[in-house]
Amino acid sequence: MKNFKLFFLFSRNALRTTLQARSGVWFFMIGKICRFAFFFLMILLIFGKTKIVRGYSLPQMLVFYLTFNLIDTTAQILFREVYRFRYQVISGEFDLTLAKPFHPFVKILIGGVDFLDLLLLIPYLLLTLHFAWQTHAVTAFNLVAYFVLLFNSLLIATAFHIVVLALGILTTDVDHTIMIYRDLTGMARFPMQIYQEPLREIFTFIIPVGLMMTFPSQALFNLLKPSFFALAFLISFTMIFLSLRLWNAALKKYQSWGG
Amino acid sequence: MNKYLTIAAVTIKEYSAYRLSFILWRVRIVISVLVTFFLWNAVFDKQTHFAGYQKDTMLTYILVVNFVNSIVLGTKTAEIAGDINDGTIINRLLKPINFLSYYAYRDIGDKLLNLIFAVVEFFLIKTIFNITIVPVVNLPLALAFFATGTIISFFINLALSLIGFWTTEVWAPRFVFLTLVFFLAGSYFPLDLLPKFAYRLLLLTPFPYLVYFPVQIMLGKRLAWQEPLLFSCLWTAITYFIAITMWRRGNKSFSFWGR
Repeated sequence: MKNFKLFFLFSRNALRTTLQARSGVWFFMIGKICRFAFFFLMILLIFGKTKIVRGYSLPQMLVFYLTFNLIDTTAQILFREVYRFRYQVISGEFDLTLAKPFHPFVKILIGGVDFLDLLLLIPYLLLTLHFAWQTHAVTAFNLVAYFVLLFNSLLIATAFHIVVLALGILTTDVDHTIMIYRDLTGMARFPMQIYQEPLREIFTFIIPVGLMMTFPSQALFNLLKPSFFALAFLISFTMIFLSLRLWNAALKKYQSWGG
Repeated sequence: MNKYLTIAAVTIKEYSAYRLSFILWRVRIVISVLVTFFLWNAVFDKQTHFAGYQKDTMLTYILVVNFVNSIVLGTKTAEIAGDINDGTIINRLLKPINFLSYYAYRDIGDKLLNLIFAVVEFFLIKTIFNITIVPVVNLPLALAFFATGTIISFFINLALSLIGFWTTEVWAPRFVFLTLVFFLAGSYFPLDLLPKFAYRLLLLTPFPYLVYFPVQIMLGKRLAWQEPLLFSCLWTAITYFIAITMWRRGNKSFSFWGR
């Protein structure tokens, strides 16, 4: 309960900070909308001149892309504070977080909700449902499976962000670990079937961005084998477990910068 | 002249201090290229032509774009904004070097290093994925487009940083620019795939002269080059005028406490 109160307090503060820079808010919103629209238009452009790409139709390809945006945006809404973590480590601010009587994840993982992305989430969801409906493959069962796997994807995203936090402590040499995560997940903006082997297997199961971003859409189109459901959850729980182990190991190595 | 060459050399040496960070930055770029590469590869799965492009031409275009991006878009000018905001720029202004030349030579160092990596990446991707590269033609003319594209990019990036003279919200406009430039400069697809009206409208902006024209000229696409080259020169002059005006006015309005 205390953690929930703190989460809401940090979120309110994050909203106030965001509203301090009003022109920045507009520019970022324009940038995010443009980025989304450009990829969307690129897909339309491709399908304007061809009917099928690797077995997928236009509505299916759009659902893959929109699902990627749903997961990516939700992760950004929840875990925006991770982007600022490296600065906290190298400036010594992280000491202050550790000294507080609550779990550090409340501050460094979910302590900076991004309200700009929250606004984009609703149109993404509506567009996903719209194009999913156009595929004529959606049943109530598939839809439930889709949302269950979306939840599973968020578990994987959580694990990835915890890994980024741990790496932020273990190495100060790399200043863009979170952006490497973003680029890797960006590979699953389109179905993994576009990639050649062994890249497809690597990015589906070993670095499971494919599993994270494309399994929900495949379930929606009834293209996912039932055994892959279990595998998806097995991988996400394993990732959460391993990421927490890595975090604990990193925390033991943490050396305060003093002040 | 020697001191400016030293600046370029020091810029390269700076990267050697953060080797891992730089290498991972290049890995991020390769990931981004692979996404576009495999998407287009998948489009040509069941067809040999797409909107007048053969598979080899399109895949060569995507690979050469990475090469051109490294030269044209690579820049160190983004750090100027931070220097203005925290006052560090004063140290730079007191030194017996021309400020703009200093950053021009830093950019040369940056581009050289990125160019070396881009060449290696080009041949790695070509070899691993067994791509038939379309021979390069019109090199002198392509170099002219390279030169103007690089200068336009330098002045736009400079102008975006000089916004720092009037506001601390410097990252948001750059974010919008980066989003626009990757799509509208032709990094993801040749711009002539767009509807004619949109394509013609885009030719009035500086974006196609940064990446699209240098690559298309180099690959021997039969484009009327005289008018684009004229527009490219015109945009060079316009962006120079904007950046220089901002620099002069910014200098007059700038004040900071002593350091």
